[in-house]
Amino acid sequence: MTDAELFAKLQEVDARVVQLPNCRPLAVEVPVGFLLAFMGKLKSRPDLRFIQLLDHLAMDWPEKNEFELVYQLYSIEHDLLLAVHTRISRESPYALTMSRLWPIAQYQEREVFDLFGILYEGHPDLRRLFLEDDWVGFPLRKDYKDYFMLEMPE
Amino acid sequence: MTGQSSYVLTSMDRIMNWARANSLWPLAFGTSCCAIEMMMSSMASRHDLSRFGAEVVRPTPRQADLLILAGTIVKRMAKPLRVLYEQMPEPRYVIATGACTISGGPFTYNSYTTVRGADEIIPVDVFVPGCPPRPEALIYGIMTLQKMIKTGEAYGQPYQRRRPITAALPPGMTQAQLQKEIAEFLEAHATIDVDKAAHNNRWEKERY
Amino acid sequence: MSLEIRTLSEIMNPPQTADSPLSTQEYFVNMGPQHPATHGVLRLVLKMDGETIREVIPVLGYIHRSIEKMAEYLHGRQIVHLTDRMDYLSALANNWAVSRAVETAMGVQTNPRIETIRTLICELQRVQSHQLWWGVLGLDLGALTSFFYGFRDREEITDILEETTGARLTMNYIQPGGLMFDLHPNFVPRVKAFIKYFRPKLDEYETLLSENVILQERLRNVGVLSAEDAIGYGATGPVLRASGIPLDLRKQQPYGVYDQVEFSVPVGTVGDCWDRYWIRIEEMRQSLGIIEQLIDNIPDGKFMEMKPAAKLKLPAGSFYLQIETARGSLGVFLQGTGEDIPHRCHFRSPNFNNLWSVTKTAVGGKIADLVAIVSTLDLVIPDVDR
Repeated sequence: MTDAELFAKLQEVDARVVQLPNCRPLAVEVPVGFLLAFMGKLKSRPDLRFIQLLDHLAMDWPEKNEFELVYQLYSIEHDLLLAVHTRISRESPYALTMSRLWPIAQYQEREVFDLFGILYEGHPDLRRLFLEDDWVGFPLRKDYKDYFMLEMPE
Repeated sequence: MTGQSSYVLTSMDRIMNWARANSLWPLAFGTSCCAIEMMMSSMASRHDLSRFGAEVVRPTPRQADLLILAGTIVKRMAKPLRVLYEQMPEPRYVIATGACTISGGPFTYNSYTTVRGADEIIPVDVFVPGCPPRPEALIYGIMTLQKMIKTGEAYGQPYQRRRPITAALPPGMTQAQLQKEIAEFLEAHATIDVDKAAHNNRWEKERY
Repeated sequence: MSLEIRTLSEIMNPPQTADSPLSTQEYFVNMGPQHPATHGVLRLVLKMDGETIREVIPVLGYIHRSIEKMAEYLHGRQIVHLTDRMDYLSALANNWAVSRAVETAMGVQTNPRIETIRTLICELQRVQSHQLWWGVLGLDLGALTSFFYGFRDREEITDILEETTGARLTMNYIQPGGLMFDLHPNFVPRVKAFIKYFRPKLDEYETLLSENVILQERLRNVGVLSAEDAIGYGATGPVLRASGIPLDLRKQQPYGVYDQVEFSVPVGTVGDCWDRYWIRIEEMRQSLGIIEQLIDNIPDGKFMEMKPAAKLKLPAGSFYLQIETARGSLGVFLQGTGEDIPHRCHFRSPNFNNLWSVTKTAVGGKIADLVAIVSTLDLVIPDVDR
């Protein structure tokens, strides 16, 4: 299936998807409010069947005042890769958990919470993953300051 | 009589140090890449560490007297590492292998967790540079530690901080030269002449 | 709107309730961070009822070296050397994953010689990685001999790779645009000699460990992971294939020259530790077959397509490329903004995703079973934590 065919199918699922330019694999952006319903359809539709969540990550865009969440999906039956992007505000970084659809999302979301401080509503066990429980700040944010960190000299 | 007893004591010291140096029991402590090279050198058949009496790798610190730090130490690991070190019986020796344990290595800059140098947490006797050090380099480090123990330098003094020694393989050394040196070392240090050792002791000479 | 963030100590010290005097008490056992059977510094907090495991809580971060933060200060060619230290047993595949992502983003084409050498050398390292896993599995289950055998043969491959790449473990050999050096002239004859040497040794492995009754009893029907759970928990690689899903990126989305060689993908039926065991043994055979097919047909050409000092400008856009390492699919996510330093670099680690199936499979078993499960998952903890 080519990217154009896949995108046409995704528009059948939800007309509000937007294709992101110059991405590989095909990346679409969905408003955060419809994300959970959209993902549920992606997983259950027989011609898509994205049953594996490969990866979940976040990106920090301080100048746009946004966090960008990325979900990498894989359909084993149809051998399709898809990246679903969504944007949330930096002031109130709330997103819905995907752990009801894919159990692994629980742990990938814990990683993102640990490093970016994104709060997942409905998450069964939202805790720090890599850092200690009393760690202050979220290190992968672009404005993270740490007196311990050494900057590379020029 | 006092002279006699001190004569015996210094000889005993020698023998004890010799025994300690030739029966180091390392703790199986590996955090990352260096652990593989440590396993290659300590237990695999090519670089057999049992020639130096240091092959009995113990999983628990209470039976070990040599801590080979193999791999990066991060902030979260610092506390368990300190606990492991405190649990080891005296006298205890520490070899830190790899660039990460010496200075932070490739993870020095822009890392918010890496501890830059394991000697910030526990006292280290010997640094073995490399990323990761070859098994030969680790063996060279263990040979250095053995020499230190035999001369009494590395004798565990509680609360006394020693400066670590960097045991780097000399540049340009070939494998054949290294093997020759190891063979000579094994020949020279596998046996001890008690009388000679006692008479060669500097402290003894000053006294009489 | 507020969320409750818990801590580990709150989980391990639940509030006391007034139980009846006959009820059994659940208690917690710490396995790790310093434990010989967890292959590094993985810490598993086990909620035990008597000898039965009720819950497994993996606690990570004891080797979290913040590679992703560091990658935001480095350009594509510099990120490669960090990936060596992530999954150090398949360092070359990690190098390849980053190189592929950078090449795809920049639209660089590599010649057949580069792709063939990459494929060849990665397969050699897959064998090496499985040899180490095999040796350590025996050690975990109480058989020391397999450790000596595995490491003896691993040293042969290490020598071959060292001759070409210049390092024993952290090779940094595959670069964006090509390779660091050309093949050493001894490479081809030594690889041929190694295959001749190793094929009978592999049969020896089978007689030594696979046919052992104790090993069979320890592995069969232990840690059964159903296909549904394996997919849901994001497992890839031999762990997923043991559960009956014939998913191998080398077949599904061929990269390198995998579309020109013939090999089969071993697939399990039950999903227990035994399936994960024999799949890796069989993968070694298949890898030897791939090497045999390629070793005589290395095309001529340059070994580097880009100038080594050229700046790697990543175009704006997101790129996610996967590679099948010895443990599963390693994904590299690069977000470019038109500059040479990526805005975000993320690694989808196969070990991180394989690890969590242990929370499902170990429940109800004993600690000795947990050792077998963790060992057959073949985890490399620095790759889990990154």
